[in-house]
Amino acid sequence: MAELTLRKADQPQKGKTWPKPEGATRLREFHIYRYDPDKADNPRIDTYFVDLDNCGPMILDALLYIKNRIDPTLTLRRSCREGICGSCSMNINGLNTLACTKGMDDSSGAIKIYPLPHMPVVKDLVPDLTTFYAQHRAIEPWLKTTSPTPDKEWTQSIEDRAKLDGLYECILCACCSTSCPSYWWNGEKYLGPAALLQAYRWLIDSRDETTSERLDNLEDPFKLYRCHTIMNCAKVCPKGLNPAKAIAQIKKMMVERKAA
Amino acid sequence: MRETVISQATIANPKSHYGNAPASTRHFITQRVTGGFNVLFLGLLLYVVVALAGQDRSDMVALLGNAFVGLPLAALICIAAVHMRNGMRDVFEDYFAGRMYSLAMMLNTLFCLIVALAAAGALVKLVFWG
Repeated sequence: MAELTLRKADQPQKGKTWPKPEGATRLREFHIYRYDPDKADNPRIDTYFVDLDNCGPMILDALLYIKNRIDPTLTLRRSCREGICGSCSMNINGLNTLACTKGMDDSSGAIKIYPLPHMPVVKDLVPDLTTFYAQHRAIEPWLKTTSPTPDKEWTQSIEDRAKLDGLYECILCACCSTSCPSYWWNGEKYLGPAALLQAYRWLIDSRDETTSERLDNLEDPFKLYRCHTIMNCAKVCPKGLNPAKAIAQIKKMMVERKAA
Repeated sequence: MRETVISQATIANPKSHYGNAPASTRHFITQRVTGGFNVLFLGLLLYVVVALAGQDRSDMVALLGNAFVGLPLAALICIAAVHMRNGMRDVFEDYFAGRMYSLAMMLNTLFCLIVALAAAGALVKLVFWG
């Protein structure tokens, strides 16, 4: 049965307020979720102040400023710093997004940063994405064929290739899945928007020859039909993709297959 | 907190299923079809509500006793009950599991049956026996 409230031991407490940088005139306040599984303490919300004159414009710049100059124990994932790798996904001011593409001037007041919601936390802003990746593995995100392999390559028309636009761009940042209430309540059984977007990407690939088998694997009250068109996934996707539409297309394919 | 009894190997297995696969698509289709009928019948329901506003019981019996009004209304109630049961199934599947889910579904089915039988029965009685 779903639990709608946090256990006492998981409820964040007020944490430390770190000193303001000396001599700084333009400051921005950050409230950041901190949790260390090696300590028995509750998670806490620490307060930091970033000197905007010595920091880049993005949230990731501010986080690296904090890590490099104020508190080296702050833990986060980051890599490409340009919205391609999906590593720095986190919940910023209540919205899942990439810290590297989110500007500090997009909002006013103190900036609140939490890890992606409803995921086990490894440390601070780092969620455990093991289940998320297992779900991606479950949709078999690769070309599956039964015909003999051609001499050169599997070709497809320009029109067929165009069908993959809006699907292949997914960077697996998990912003969509972790913003989905259905995924919160049934995170192990429901594949989630990210995996289903990828599932649809392979279902409509003209080169793939296992569409029926893929649909068989997806047909399940939990794996697919937990999507209730809440649309949080489309709202938060930092790449502007629409997983909900892809899921609707999969459901349509299911119905068409039944009717055929 | 979510259930944590499912292994990563099961989650990663494309063949894993957590419920009745064919029934899932059937429920999806049923929900849309009954939803479509509900929209179609909405006009009739609105007509009945507006026509009976401020009227007394004999007017109500006369209107609902008309086979062209009473029988479609009885059909609407049955379809709405099916739609209602399916809708609640979705909610229960979200939040309950195991025996709690079975119990909730049993009560859900019972409630929808009672609503459909009582309302449709009353309408059929009005149409055929006044």
